[in-house]
Amino acid sequence: MQNKVFSIQHIAKAFGNEKDGNYIQVLKDISMDIYEKEFIVILGNSGCGKSTFLKILGGIDSATDGSMELHGKDIGREIPREELKKFGFVFQSNNLLPWRTAEGNLRFNLNTMKLKGPEWDKRVDEMLDIVGLLDYKKVYPHELSGGMRQRVGIARALVHDPDILILDQPLGALDAITRKMLSYEILNIWKKTQKTVVMVTNNVDEAILLANRIFVFSNKPATITHEIPVDIPLEHRNHEIANDKRFNELREQINEIVRATL
Amino acid sequence: MTQSNPVKRVKKKKEFNPINVIAPLVVLAIIYVGLEIFLRVFNVSEYVMPTPTHIIQGTIKSFHIILPDFLFTLKIICIGFCIAIPAGILLAALFSQFDLLVKAMQPVVIWLVITPMITLIPLMTLWLGTDPNLRVIIVIIQATPIICLNTLNGFTHVEREKLELARSVGATKLQTFLSITFMNAMPQVFTGIKLGCIFSTIGAVSADFVSRGRGLGDRIIKFMKYSNFEESYGCIILIALIGIGLYTIVSMIEKRVVLWKK
Repeated sequence: MQNKVFSIQHIAKAFGNEKDGNYIQVLKDISMDIYEKEFIVILGNSGCGKSTFLKILGGIDSATDGSMELHGKDIGREIPREELKKFGFVFQSNNLLPWRTAEGNLRFNLNTMKLKGPEWDKRVDEMLDIVGLLDYKKVYPHELSGGMRQRVGIARALVHDPDILILDQPLGALDAITRKMLSYEILNIWKKTQKTVVMVTNNVDEAILLANRIFVFSNKPATITHEIPVDIPLEHRNHEIANDKRFNELREQINEIVRATL
Repeated sequence: MTQSNPVKRVKKKKEFNPINVIAPLVVLAIIYVGLEIFLRVFNVSEYVMPTPTHIIQGTIKSFHIILPDFLFTLKIICIGFCIAIPAGILLAALFSQFDLLVKAMQPVVIWLVITPMITLIPLMTLWLGTDPNLRVIIVIIQATPIICLNTLNGFTHVEREKLELARSVGATKLQTFLSITFMNAMPQVFTGIKLGCIFSTIGAVSADFVSRGRGLGDRIIKFMKYSNFEESYGCIILIALIGIGLYTIVSMIEKRVVLWKK
């Protein structure tokens, strides 16, 4: 297989303190190898700790146990600040800064990372173009629809050219139609940008449409119960995917697993 | 992209609406005419309430007497207000850096907001002497706490997701404060500054009442003593105009800065 980009070994996360009696273990012994250009989807019930896991991957939170390896280099339990440029995080509810325009939101990432120059200016336009919002460059988030905001959120996560794109239930806050449209768009963006993607969702169809590999998380404390490779060729992944035989087999299989973990 | 809209959306500009200016002017005219008619029909004595026309006439006639006091009060309010704005914001910025300091200082600030600073004037005369320019200090200690309180409220209520965004891009503490916390608090900062306008005016006039000798507050009492009621009311209107003027300037700046409010 291709190069290993990111490797997670025995990650665990707990909140609170055993003595105070408010100790909660959220993640337990999660190990995962992520290869270049893979699209990994994590499925799990709500509240199982998927988001906590992504926050550790995205450098927002640190693990309490285990270690991570980025491009073969051990980085411990927390992504160090200088490595954060290699990650792009898409938040569940777009999380755009309301006081910045679409362009300004992309520039927030570039500014904080001190990425300046004409090549980055060009990249802002390129990324807005990829999500189809170049015409809305100067528009404030409150003037955009929910789907458009999330597309700006995706463009923002891509603007600093990260190696790994992390999406935390990016479609969760959208209506059913927009959700479907945007899931195809994420597929297109992945094809175009050739990024490594880790996404969390609770929608089985979405997971099969997008993923190379699906990891199913158990309930709290979350751990990987199943790893399912999705062997549907890219050219079959389009609006007609629901007619694909393999799609329906996988769907049945995963639904079974998800039902069992409830 | 599949769903991008090729038609460039017309950007909504906040258009100037003449109703916003005409409506209050009409109310003002109604009050003016109504008072004029009411006072004349019921033959109300000039000692109780002079007619609006007489107030304007009297004020214009004595304007050369009022002018130095008007300018003095204007100066006191403006200087005090201009010092109170950065003082309030900087103090709030300082307090907000430490949770303990917020907990410790918030009640103190509220206590300062509630205490009428007019009560301190006799003591301050004792400490600092009788120079009328020292009334700037009254304005500062009257207006700073309310600006500080509102700003602090904004600084301490930032959505967790916004801070997580800052973390995910490796923002430093200063970057996070300037581009997330401060911008997020901007509407509250302006609320504080607007209240500061009102508090500054109150502070300056109450200082005049107690310390006497100069200022519009002093002028009101002098006119009253000599039964020049028209001029007294004229001074009250002038004080109101200073407050309204400051408030309008701040509102106009707010509209240019806070563009993202619906």
